[in-house]
Amino acid sequence: MSGFRLIYLGATTSQALAAVSKTSTYLLLRYLIDNVIEYPDAPRLLPLFALAFIGLAIIEGFFTFTSGRLAAQTAEGIALRLRNFLFDHIQRLSFTYHDKTRTGELIQRSTSDVDALRRFFSEQAIGIGRIILLFLINFIALINLNWQLALYSVVVIPLVVYTSYLFFKRIIVAYEKYQEQEAILSTNLQENLTGVRVVKAFARQSYESEKFDQQNWEKFVRGRHLLTMHSFFWPVSDILCGFQMLAGFLIGALMAIDGTITVGTFLAYVGLIVWLIWPMRNLGRFIVQTSTGLVSYQRVMNVIKEERELLIEPDFHATQNIRGEIEFKNVSFEYEGSSKVLREITFHCNPGEVVALLGSTGSGKTSLVNLLPRFYDYTHGSIKLDGIELKKYSRQFLRDHIGIVEQEPFLFSRTIRENITYGLGREITQGEIESAARAAAIHDVILSFPDGYDTLVGEKGVTLSGGQKQRVAIARTLLKDPRILILDDATSSVDMETEAEIRNALERLMEGRTSFIIAHRIQSVMNADLILVLDKGRIVQQGKHDDLVESEGMYRQVFELQTRIEEELKLEINTSQDGTKGLDT
Amino acid sequence: MSVFEFEEEEFTGRIDNKSITRILAQALPHWKWLIGFLLAIALVSILDSYFTFLSKRIIDEGIIPGDRSALVDIVIIYGILLVVQAIGVLAFIYLAGVLGERIRYDLRKRLFDHLQKLSLTYFNRTPVGWIMARVTSDTERVAELVTWGLLDITWAVLNIATAAYFMILINWRLALLVLAIVPLLAIVAIQFRKKILLEYRRVRKINSRITASYNENITGVKVVKALGREDINMREFGELTSQMYRASYRAAWLSALFLPTVQLISSFALGGIVWYGGLQTQIGIMTIGGIQAFISYITFMMWPIQDMAHVFAEMQHAVASAERIFSLLDTEPDIYDQPDAIDPGTLKTDIEFRNVDFTYKDGEPVLSNFSLTIKHGETIALVGPTGGGKTTIINLLCRFFEPNKGQIFIGGRNYLSIQLYALQSRIGIVLQSPHLFSGSIRDNIRYGRLSASDEEIEQAARLAGAHEFIITLEAGYDEEVGEGGNLLSVGQKQLISLSRAILAQPDIFIMDEATSSVDTLTESLIQKGMHTLMEGRTSIIIAHRLSTIKRADRILVIEDGRIMEMGTHSELLQARQHYYQLYTRQFRRELEVEYDPFAYTKTTSFKS
Repeated sequence: MSGFRLIYLGATTSQALAAVSKTSTYLLLRYLIDNVIEYPDAPRLLPLFALAFIGLAIIEGFFTFTSGRLAAQTAEGIALRLRNFLFDHIQRLSFTYHDKTRTGELIQRSTSDVDALRRFFSEQAIGIGRIILLFLINFIALINLNWQLALYSVVVIPLVVYTSYLFFKRIIVAYEKYQEQEAILSTNLQENLTGVRVVKAFARQSYESEKFDQQNWEKFVRGRHLLTMHSFFWPVSDILCGFQMLAGFLIGALMAIDGTITVGTFLAYVGLIVWLIWPMRNLGRFIVQTSTGLVSYQRVMNVIKEERELLIEPDFHATQNIRGEIEFKNVSFEYEGSSKVLREITFHCNPGEVVALLGSTGSGKTSLVNLLPRFYDYTHGSIKLDGIELKKYSRQFLRDHIGIVEQEPFLFSRTIRENITYGLGREITQGEIESAARAAAIHDVILSFPDGYDTLVGEKGVTLSGGQKQRVAIARTLLKDPRILILDDATSSVDMETEAEIRNALERLMEGRTSFIIAHRIQSVMNADLILVLDKGRIVQQGKHDDLVESEGMYRQVFELQTRIEEELKLEINTSQDGTKGLDT
Repeated sequence: MSVFEFEEEEFTGRIDNKSITRILAQALPHWKWLIGFLLAIALVSILDSYFTFLSKRIIDEGIIPGDRSALVDIVIIYGILLVVQAIGVLAFIYLAGVLGERIRYDLRKRLFDHLQKLSLTYFNRTPVGWIMARVTSDTERVAELVTWGLLDITWAVLNIATAAYFMILINWRLALLVLAIVPLLAIVAIQFRKKILLEYRRVRKINSRITASYNENITGVKVVKALGREDINMREFGELTSQMYRASYRAAWLSALFLPTVQLISSFALGGIVWYGGLQTQIGIMTIGGIQAFISYITFMMWPIQDMAHVFAEMQHAVASAERIFSLLDTEPDIYDQPDAIDPGTLKTDIEFRNVDFTYKDGEPVLSNFSLTIKHGETIALVGPTGGGKTTIINLLCRFFEPNKGQIFIGGRNYLSIQLYALQSRIGIVLQSPHLFSGSIRDNIRYGRLSASDEEIEQAARLAGAHEFIITLEAGYDEEVGEGGNLLSVGQKQLISLSRAILAQPDIFIMDEATSSVDTLTESLIQKGMHTLMEGRTSIIIAHRLSTIKRADRILVIEDGRIMEMGTHSELLQARQHYYQLYTRQFRRELEVEYDPFAYTKTTSFKS
């Protein structure tokens, strides 16, 4: 927030000056009444006074504007800085952090909490300042007019501030309840709209109407409660302030009759007192709002305090292109505060080889490949890339040289072109994009869209199927041209027609790169140079297909199972041909 | 269809009287409240001006002549009126506020009830977000206009009018001079307000883009990191926030300029009062109290002006909101009961599709000249590629849509002559993406038959194979399912929606990929229940699962809106045509999933 202190000081000073000009207007009026208006040279002086009043108004207006402007500059500037900082911060936080934090939570902190802070600086802080400055300056002026009168005039103010504080404290609670009900109501509405087929299928329209009506009515009741509170607070504070003012009028008028104060003084008093008393009714609100601002501040700070993962340190860069030789030695890994996900992983692969990982869900396949781009850091053992410890490479360097294709890749709601060139950090010609898309067997699909490569992906554009998304990701990875490739479950849930196309595209992609394939089916790993069978975080078997089939173990079990399935299928079709019913009756 | 046409339109057109009348009509059923708050605000407004006049009398009749008793009299009147005004304040806040809540309530109720009547065609065409905005924020704006808007205007107009009255009473020449600036003030204020409002709308738009940006970058954080896009993303986001800074700074800047400008204009009137009023005092036409009163009137004139400007600026948008609400209310449902529609009492009869054509709005024809007869009690399985028309057949049967050409007969009667409720309440349907409502599991199952007892619910859950997992939950049947059921897995949701359909005891039972995400073990549990269920009922099943399909009396291969093949499992396999191909390609995979411990269909995603 530094750098804004001076501006904010300026805003406060301007406010004080605006308040001083306002007060001066009334003091000038006093002088006018007491010393000018009933005197003979008034006609000559009056135009000057008229100009003076206009002049004071201009000064007041100028400072009011300046203070508002400077406050806005502070608030918006701080919000700008926070937004940018948070955005960058969040994308640089570690996976460990993202794993345990919900997306909605992070978004809320970056948007509504930042907005609450912005409002604190633009409204609440400045509002409190304004009320207090108005009070102080007018009070000093009043004391100068007549100190006894001044004291009489503020008796009720602590009471006003206190009741307004108590009131707004409760009103915020009531308001939150009202908003909660509003949220319930819109959730209900949304569910009704998205589930419209279910509602119609069961012909539950009247039941739905009744349910909605109940919640709608509850909201009405809560709204009425809120209004009842308002409709009592404002008249009560009206009466408090009104009678305080009236008492001041009476005392002041009596003093004027006695000659203790002049008529002009009384007039100035009548003008000033308004600015002293009425703003106080809102002080409670600002104080209460400030406390909610503090909560937002805490929540934002909690995100800011999290440590980022280092991207460019340590700054070891391989002098030439990496070759892609990888060695795991007794590598273990555990997520923060949970048991080991990987235990004693040891294997070695040469540049350009294909390593296949096989294992049931939760056996640690994905955790293993996540260690390579240093999404997570291994906790024990050593991983060497081209003979050098992985932790010596900077994350950025590693990620630049590793390509990942997932089962259902995340695409951004941008054009297809932007998605293909996403993250490449250099100018890519249309020719390059198209040849990558052709190699990924997606070019023709893209051309079939109305806007071709400029078609938007996602909600506001076309929805791509899982297989199409995958091929976009393959095209992207081809352009990236990494030395090491990770295919995370890339072939398991694709529709039939495209499976062959994707397989071909993937084969093209794997050529000459060290590749890690996570797979489910033996068919897709048979040709790998090294097959790792994982179970509960351990490598239980490793070797080539031919060796693994020969030896006892999980691999052979699965292989036999899959062979059996093939046979059953043949049998089923044959028996059908004989006119008997198939299996499973 | 594009979603763009549903984006928030900017309304800059004229406000026509018909909409205004219709908006005000919203308050008519509660006219007593309306009159009540208008009277209360009138009282408050008139007293506001009168108080200034009383202060003048304190000076002119009390202080200057030195008359203590007159002073005390005036102060007492002042005090009484303060209390009266406070009562007025209480009344208008309560009356206007509660009326506003009531109008919100009424409008929402009407909208919701109307939405229940509209057909699926409407919902397919209209984004949920668009409808949500009509029911939530638009009703809000209309209610605001009818209550606080009306109140502000009444207060402002009366305040200016009574102030004018008292000023004329005090000194009509000076009053005319002062009042000359009121139109100027009003115009400036309204222009300002409009500009400010425009800026804030821009801010809101950018703000939603910022939120979307956060959302995308956080959900896609793995890709961002893997591709090292952090710096470029930051640059792009920086552009967005800079825009935001400029727009919101401009909005704040304009707001900050607003009041000083209004004050400045009125300061010229103040100068006039001092100069001209001072001269009038000299010749004894004007009193000192009079000058004081004039200064007060002009100083506080900016509040009613500001309120008026505020209402006028908002009015256009509120009217636009109202027009959108009315357009929704005026939408006629395109599927409704014919006047002589009847309730046949049962649907346990034959069903016939005769030469049915169907096309979704601006799409290619889905079904053309489609004919099919289903005997009562038969189990029909529909298989075939996505988009072939399987779900459309079901949608037509449930009368979510109606055929463009041809007829559907149920029990020999054209089904358009059957009451919608009679038809739909006797069909039990389980969808692939099961929709649950927030609430407990029990509530969700009971949705099938509201009068069902807890025992019946449990029985239905047992048949559906849901009971086993439900009892392992902490609260059992009372476990909350979360918004849209998202605390449960897809498979669990499917089981609950199956239980729901079983509980409904329908005459016709429909399953659309209903158990696609249920694991093999549970699937075999369900089989038994399903068998009991389908006995004596007409069932139509869309499924990929072999075990479900094999049991059907007839299997239909649907492709491009036509029946390519029809027959029993073994008949079709022998034919070695479409079904055979589907079977060997698709069902082989399924077998693998069933037997292979490594195969697992769930998407592995980064976020848990």
